[in-house]
Amino acid sequence: MTQTVQAPPGAATVPPRVRRGRVKQPRVRTGVNARSNVMAYAMLAPIVLLLTIFVVWPVIYAIYLSFYNWSFYTPPIPVGWRNYVNVLGDRTFIQSVGRGLLFAVIVVPVQLIIGFLFASLVKSVSGKLATVLKVSIYIPTIISGVIASIVFVLIYNYQGGILNAFVGLFGIEKQAWLGNAETALGALTVPAIWLGLGIGTLIMLAGMVDIPPSYYEAADLDGATWFQKTFYITIPLMRNIFLYLLIAGFTAAVQQFELPLVMTDGGPLERTLLPNLYIFQHFRNDTYVGYSIAAAILLMIVLGSISAGIFRVLNSEKAVDG
Amino acid sequence: MRSTTFRALGMVAAASAVALTLAACGSGTPGQPADTGGGGEDVPEGATTVEFWQLSFQEVENDWYTAVVDAFNSSQEEVHVNLTQVPGDAWEQRMTAAQAAGNAPDMYTIAYNGVISAASTGQILSLSEHIGDDVWTDVQPEVLGSVSMGEDHYAFPMLVEPSAVLWYRTDLFEAAGIDAPPATWDELVEHAATLTSGDVFGFGGPQSAGDAGWSTWGLQWNVAGHLPISDDWSEAQCTDEYAPFLQAWQDMYAAGSLPQQALSGVADGNPLGQGQLAMNMGGSWFASVLLNDFPEMVENIAAAPMPSFHGDPTAPTATLGGWTWVVDAKSEVPAEAASFIEHALGGGDDEQLLEYFAATQYSKYSPRTTVNENLIEAASSSENPWAATIAEQIVPNSKPEASYPWDISLAFGTALEQAMQGTDVSAALADCNAEINRLIEANQLAGTAPQ
Repeated sequence: MTQTVQAPPGAATVPPRVRRGRVKQPRVRTGVNARSNVMAYAMLAPIVLLLTIFVVWPVIYAIYLSFYNWSFYTPPIPVGWRNYVNVLGDRTFIQSVGRGLLFAVIVVPVQLIIGFLFASLVKSVSGKLATVLKVSIYIPTIISGVIASIVFVLIYNYQGGILNAFVGLFGIEKQAWLGNAETALGALTVPAIWLGLGIGTLIMLAGMVDIPPSYYEAADLDGATWFQKTFYITIPLMRNIFLYLLIAGFTAAVQQFELPLVMTDGGPLERTLLPNLYIFQHFRNDTYVGYSIAAAILLMIVLGSISAGIFRVLNSEKAVDG
Repeated sequence: MRSTTFRALGMVAAASAVALTLAACGSGTPGQPADTGGGGEDVPEGATTVEFWQLSFQEVENDWYTAVVDAFNSSQEEVHVNLTQVPGDAWEQRMTAAQAAGNAPDMYTIAYNGVISAASTGQILSLSEHIGDDVWTDVQPEVLGSVSMGEDHYAFPMLVEPSAVLWYRTDLFEAAGIDAPPATWDELVEHAATLTSGDVFGFGGPQSAGDAGWSTWGLQWNVAGHLPISDDWSEAQCTDEYAPFLQAWQDMYAAGSLPQQALSGVADGNPLGQGQLAMNMGGSWFASVLLNDFPEMVENIAAAPMPSFHGDPTAPTATLGGWTWVVDAKSEVPAEAASFIEHALGGGDDEQLLEYFAATQYSKYSPRTTVNENLIEAASSSENPWAATIAEQIVPNSKPEASYPWDISLAFGTALEQAMQGTDVSAALADCNAEINRLIEANQLAGTAPQ
């Protein structure tokens, strides 16, 4: 994991300057470097172009449109900040964002914990069994979210659902898992955790395999227990993995769309109306699209702020060398 | 030009994203093709093509649309109609994506409550200049009023169907010693409790805000004498006058007479046919579902008007929903599209139009006076035992659908759902009132109601 900084060919043997803990390489201008730079820019150009066309430009244009009342049939009418004021004045939007964050707070940690435990199990077993386990845990990832939603609707069904049949064995009355405002969001978290578990587990497994065995051998010589090795070696060295999964999982969970759309359509009492579904419903029903776009941009700001906050709290650089 | 191009690019990107998200759904309905339709072949040379999108429901309806398009195409060579049948659950995203890309069809089907909104925002064209006054005079005035602004008629009504009929099981009534359908809401709540037993629930009706938003307009008229917004859309009227309605829902849900989770959407007649409900508030289209899919249940099911809150049997309890045909504002062939509408719905071939109502077992009614008279006569000797009751006791007292923006209807539906789930009725109505006032303010609705 230790990085070695080598001086480029032809560079003067000046010791590298150290500033704020970073190694700064001496600036060297040579024909070879210039050519390398041109090649690098040429290689980067396609992706920069595609990003500009499909990411940067749509975002800029969406921001522009959010200041207009605009439909597919009438010229845009500038409305200033009114779309934003209306969105922020709509308690349904504010509640949907809060609900999305709550949904993520439930789903992501459970996914991380189960994924970590499963990855540890896979790493500790023999080759063939590990393969079976890896395939098993990955299957939900390749199942369509729509299909999974329908399957879970059947499981949760009030009349004839498998879950109610199961709880009935213990003398518990039938529950309206998706029809009751108190249980609906919780019912949605189960398929969300299940669907996202596979990819997270495999990424964690890759991170675990990458940890040098010598660390564990040294710990074994010192008589460390499984818990000590996990908390003092595995978890610290997987910090960047956790950071990635936390941010990716958090933004994906807040933006969950298929499950509430298919399973509850945001009900009951909007208790499963997550922000993306809220935006979609407005995009689908509103005559003017400025409102939906303003809501989408506000959601982008919320998610960007949270991601930046997670980056700040869990500084990835600190984990480079363990 | 430049801004138009950019706008189109931006919206195509947005619409494509939505379309890609939903692409995995295929048609959106398992086992159903994404698009079907008629008229796509043998376009005569020089003929003007009219693209027509139809919201797909039942197979018999799709067959009728195909037949009427084919008949029109065969009858002349100047206009060729190309029919596309779009499944109901894919309609909104398909249409939105097409509008964003500038590829909206020339004409399409649209529900009554969407006509005024579409007309006032420039999405559809007035048909008045293309279809003569003599054709419009045959359309029932209250129905025509619901598709008109000023002197202009923006849609041609195809059918009307009452949104709320009380369907009930006569065998279960008899077993419980109940000899007549409820005439008051107290009776309905009482009967629902009596009839609830085992896996059979006493009453089924709208249980989500979305379903309640449109299916209860008639009951809103009934209990309060008005809708929850003033006629000029300047202030909310979600007052305590609606309390008996919300209270009835709360009582039935608490008693277990209403299922704790809706068995299906309010537009779905299957739970009644499957024997899961003793009484079911549903549209007149349930007749077609019962006759086709549950023939063994027909003799045990009767229809009646929903009970009236204040005991007046002539007070409205339903709205006349249904479908109209409109021409898109960006169509380059509006006259040709209108000529097809006039031919199919306006009197060009009424025999063929009557075939539609016969195919749907007289579960729907014609907004045209002459057609409706023939329809009721034919229905009396049809296999539909409920047609006369609906035509004579419900349709005449029904109101047109509300034409204000959908969010207003949703606010009332949310209040009903809140009350059902246990929120204090007055608090739910206060929330509804505040939300409607917020929507009026945010959307600058005051004074924009069509006259």
